[in-house]
Amino acid sequence: MNTTLLIFLLVLLAALLIGIALLAYRLVKGRMPRFSRKSLCIPYAVFLVFFVIIPMLVIFFYAFTDREMHFSFGNFVKFFSDPTKLSTIAYSIVIALITTVVCLLIAFPVAYILARSKMKKKYVVLMLFVLPMWINFVLRINAIRELFNWMGLLGETNYFNTVFGMVYDFLPFMILPLYTTIMKIDNSLYEASCDLGANGFVTFTRITLPLSVPGIMSGVTMVFLPSMTNYVVSDMLGNSMVTIIGKFIYEYFGSDWHMGSMVALVLLVVVFVSTWLTGGFQSDENVRGANL
Amino acid sequence: MNKRQAVCLALAGAMLLPALSALSGCGAKQADVILRVYSWAEYIDEGGEGSYQNDIEGLDKADARHILDDFEAWYEETYRESIRVDYATFGTNEDMYNEIVLGNEYDLLCPSDYMIMKLAAEDRIVPYDESFFDESDPLNYYVRNVSPYIKGVFENGTVTVTQGERQETHTWSEYAAGYMWGTTGFVYNPEHVDRADLEELGWKTFTSDKYTNKITAKDNVRDTYFAALGLTYQDELLSLDKQGESYNGTLTDIFNRTEADYTEDVRTALLAMKSNIYGFETDTGKQDMVSGKIWLNYAWSGDAVYALDEAEDAEEEEDKLYLEYFVPEAGSNLWFDGWVLTKGVEERGTKKAAQAFVNYMSTPESAKRNSYFIGYTSVIAGEKGEMCDYTDDLYGVEDEADETEENYYDLTWFFGDENGAVGIYADEEQRTRRQLYAQFPPQDVIERCAVMNYFDADTSERINELWSQIKAETLDAWAISVLCVAAVGIVLFVLYVKFGSKIDFFRRKPKKGYELKEQKKA
Repeated sequence: MNTTLLIFLLVLLAALLIGIALLAYRLVKGRMPRFSRKSLCIPYAVFLVFFVIIPMLVIFFYAFTDREMHFSFGNFVKFFSDPTKLSTIAYSIVIALITTVVCLLIAFPVAYILARSKMKKKYVVLMLFVLPMWINFVLRINAIRELFNWMGLLGETNYFNTVFGMVYDFLPFMILPLYTTIMKIDNSLYEASCDLGANGFVTFTRITLPLSVPGIMSGVTMVFLPSMTNYVVSDMLGNSMVTIIGKFIYEYFGSDWHMGSMVALVLLVVVFVSTWLTGGFQSDENVRGANL
Repeated sequence: MNKRQAVCLALAGAMLLPALSALSGCGAKQADVILRVYSWAEYIDEGGEGSYQNDIEGLDKADARHILDDFEAWYEETYRESIRVDYATFGTNEDMYNEIVLGNEYDLLCPSDYMIMKLAAEDRIVPYDESFFDESDPLNYYVRNVSPYIKGVFENGTVTVTQGERQETHTWSEYAAGYMWGTTGFVYNPEHVDRADLEELGWKTFTSDKYTNKITAKDNVRDTYFAALGLTYQDELLSLDKQGESYNGTLTDIFNRTEADYTEDVRTALLAMKSNIYGFETDTGKQDMVSGKIWLNYAWSGDAVYALDEAEDAEEEEDKLYLEYFVPEAGSNLWFDGWVLTKGVEERGTKKAAQAFVNYMSTPESAKRNSYFIGYTSVIAGEKGEMCDYTDDLYGVEDEADETEENYYDLTWFFGDENGAVGIYADEEQRTRRQLYAQFPPQDVIERCAVMNYFDADTSERINELWSQIKAETLDAWAISVLCVAAVGIVLFVLYVKFGSKIDFFRRKPKKGYELKEQKKA
């Protein structure tokens, strides 16, 4: 039977069993069981177990087994002794870094101007920046491909094309959190700064920049991580001459799941470390709704 | 039971109902037999505009039917049993293989040559019934219509099947019924590429500086590895004695060189290719040829026909482009896709229907429809040479005066000589470089084509490793060391910033004369 259908049916069955259990409880005890607010988390917990934790364990299992399914560090050793794989990780990080920095440089002024201006229709302008997200991503990349071809860049500047595509694709993810954070900076702070005689530059470095750090961080996380793996962009705009880590994972899953899982696991660690570096795990309240 | 309890039970029943109806088929067409077919995307006649029935038979595009609907109707009429075909598609052989290994139960698959061998060797597919090969049964369209040439290829090819401890050698024909076949070669734009030059260069076109950035290779390891073999061993291949008894055998061996000694030579060729080509492509090649972006595209013959058709059908006269196809003199790849029955097809009771499906797809009528729709060449010849007539209609000369000996294109090797020699009259372009040449290459081209076997697990791992090293950039050892040190440095720095103040060792000592607040309190 089709696996997808099977999973769907299992979920349905689980819902059904819960329903029957509730009714049975009702029949026996004569009242519905009392739920605390915590039990609202149950569906999410179930989802978490089935679609996050179990798949993660499966990846872990494959990464540390060989073809005969025996436990082995072979893939681990092979990965870290292969200069190609290490280089690919380095290339992916560099491409992602450049993408993030360029996105930040473009997005910050845009978000700042939009958030601080007294323009009446600034939502329209903001929408124009976000609008491309509503159009299918492959379609947009295809359009850029044609544009690059017309400009004679396709096949010539593969790395530039890849970074351009990534920036184009992920820019809205940088603008939105920045816009929300800058919007929320209290206007009285600017007034105070003006009263105390600070010039524009000082106001920017002492007020705007420090207070928009949460927005920068969440923007950086949302741009940096996907641009390490989005190989559709590097394939289409870089003519498959640029290989990033996501492509590696895809190719290995065609032939060797164990190595593929190991690459995925290493990527997971890189993602974990970079999220942690940018403070993504901070639970304090100063994130101030910057996360979308 | 009180009223409340009754209401509860009724509610429970109401909850069960939709689940039960979901289990019993999700509202799709009910049928006695459900046949699950897993094949390539866009690989059958889907009807509508531009289909065979629409273009050639002149039916309205709304009346040009999907071939699966026709099969379902035909099956019901012939076997008095209703059938529903669940048709799913895949993009690569490897995707399909993963699905099968994960336990998805399809009845009929359409993998390529090497994947058929791999599936057979791993005992994941079962042979056809003996009755399937009975030529006296009028419903056995496959054996009655298949080309004698393809039949020969399938009967001569062998695969070692491992069933538990047992190992047996079987022929391909026991496990697979052909569907489409072809060669690989170069589609080129004659406005920029000279045919004579191409013939001179052969596989070395990939590294020629005349075509720097104007030629593409395939973004999959097998096809590009094959091309690199041709590039590396071109001189050796050309020096073989073409009339010799073992010509094709030796050539096939050369195109199956996967041992470690050879892969190092191939690596050099692949690197040279990569630095010269425009890019690796999976399916943008056809479009890039048509738009004139590139001059040469390494392609499967079916895609070549598609590109040729597309380029000459441009709406504006000045956009029309007459592309051509070429198979290197040194030899090339012979490939085919075939229908195979998955393990468990007997237990599921769908073997008869699956075989009937293959037979229906093998009628000359279906072969024409599918072939016309997708541009690939069917393995079907037709009992009375129907496919030859069809090819003649498409590519033969129109004027009877042109039916000269010079224009005769011999196709006996494909259609068989039961009814004497078979051939069509076609102009020089069709015979040597256009669609006819791509669909049915002349016999001497076929004789220099080789099937590439599947790689066993170790070879596959080694060649994939090689492929990843070709595709990705590798930095020098010192650069990697520097980066590793930098990465560790950054992590340590952040650790220090975050936790440094909590560790006594890093805590800044207060200057003399000052005391820490805590100490004061104490």
